[in-house]
Amino acid sequence: MKDIVISAKRVKKEATILLACFTMAFIINVASIVIYKTSWLEIFTQIGYVIIITLTLYLVVAFIRLIIYLIYRLTKR
Amino acid sequence: MSRKKTKQVDTSLRQFIKDLGYISGGTALLATTPWLQSFTPDTAKEIKNEKARIGFIGTGSRGMYNMQAVLAIQHAEIVALCDIYPPNLKQATELCPNAKTYTDYRKLLESPDIDGVIISTPLYLHAPMTLQALDAGKHVYCEKAMALTMEECKAIYEAYQKTNKVLYFCMQRMFDEKYIKGMQMIHSGLIGDIVGERCYWFRNHDWRRPVPSPELERQINWRLYWEYSAGLMTELASHQLEVCCWAMQMVPESVIGTGDIAHWKDGREVYDSVNLVYSYSNGVKINYESLISNKFNGMEDQILGNKGTMNLATGIYYLEEAAGKKRSGIEQLIDQIGNKVYASVPAAGPSWRPETKGSYTPYNILEGEFQVNDGLSMIGALKDGSDEILSAFCQACITGEKGKNIVEEAYLATLLCLLGNQAIAEERKVTFPEEYKIPYMKF
Repeated sequence: MKDIVISAKRVKKEATILLACFTMAFIINVASIVIYKTSWLEIFTQIGYVIIITLTLYLVVAFIRLIIYLIYRLTKR
Repeated sequence: MSRKKTKQVDTSLRQFIKDLGYISGGTALLATTPWLQSFTPDTAKEIKNEKARIGFIGTGSRGMYNMQAVLAIQHAEIVALCDIYPPNLKQATELCPNAKTYTDYRKLLESPDIDGVIISTPLYLHAPMTLQALDAGKHVYCEKAMALTMEECKAIYEAYQKTNKVLYFCMQRMFDEKYIKGMQMIHSGLIGDIVGERCYWFRNHDWRRPVPSPELERQINWRLYWEYSAGLMTELASHQLEVCCWAMQMVPESVIGTGDIAHWKDGREVYDSVNLVYSYSNGVKINYESLISNKFNGMEDQILGNKGTMNLATGIYYLEEAAGKKRSGIEQLIDQIGNKVYASVPAAGPSWRPETKGSYTPYNILEGEFQVNDGLSMIGALKDGSDEILSAFCQACITGEKGKNIVEEAYLATLLCLLGNQAIAEERKVTFPEEYKIPYMKF
């Protein structure tokens, strides 16, 4: 059985993308609080929504990256 | 709902007024509830050593309920009892052994030792008994509804205009603390403009009482026959339509409706299911529904405003704005994105999507614990204003001061009930007849 090796560079790249997604989700939550004039406590209480949005954004980015990768592979041939 | 709670309060009228905030400056309260104007703490002191001599006409279940309430009133004593049904009279005598008994109410009315009478008889007897009692110079308290026909209601109203005697009808919601405070909130604009009224009364009971011998069927189960009763409308709806007019400060000008015997097909004549829509001249409607073969929804008098909803029977109100605020910012953002996505569907606009009931925060009309009437008892519920209105009547028997608005409210509520039955029977829209309008609320 072949071992899958994930390089440190790759891990760092994925972590950076995930952090960027989390930052984006956090900003969305803050923006919602400002727009809808709700409590600033929602920064903490709505963390569940932030995590869900983070993962959704990460999946969207992964899908886009996959498309780009496939296009790149096809044009390389 | 498990909100049925009991508040241990003094039953006296004085305490009731105190609870309502009269003592702490209730000018605004008295402006909206003029029938309470006579019941100041000073008046209570003045009559402290006096007693109203009360005669009871009708000692059935509701009569006994009223008797127990009057026995607890310091400024009243029961001096006479009258009933044509011996078991009822015997039962009443056991409760009031010193009271003189009669089987003919006309004889009771001849007695000079009686200040006022409390009439708790079947509906068809309300008019003749009330009119004769007023003629005999007695103050009168009569159970709702006012009378069986519109002509009788008009006759009572006109007799009341001419007499100097006190006349009360059991519109107990006018003396129910949560209704009074709820109305104050409505009239102060808490729930915004009234945009609709929705009242219902659901029970699962056949309305029958055991009959010892067949010839007594109509006498005992009088509620089931048109000759003696106007059915669900006068027995239940009369209270609720009174509340609707009180909230709206207007009287509906027309009604349409339908009614049937949907379940209790046991030889009765009156409907066991009614659905009516009353229309005010400004377009607002009362939706009324009553059914006595399913009690799931219970009883409620619901006033709908553009800013909130007042559930008077359960003493709770909800605010539209508060319901929106309860959602977090991010949830509102997600909702808004969702609305935009769905609204972009070319087949229809945003209105096609159903608005399922949101989560509303309940607020109590009264602070602390209070009694909620589940509406299931045929006799009456504790702390629904019945004790207070009886106490007010007994006080009025001493002072001779007429109760403001009570007769007018009872008159209009009863007429609306009877017009509802007419609309059902004739299967058409019925408008409030000009000749029966009174100079009270606008139409």
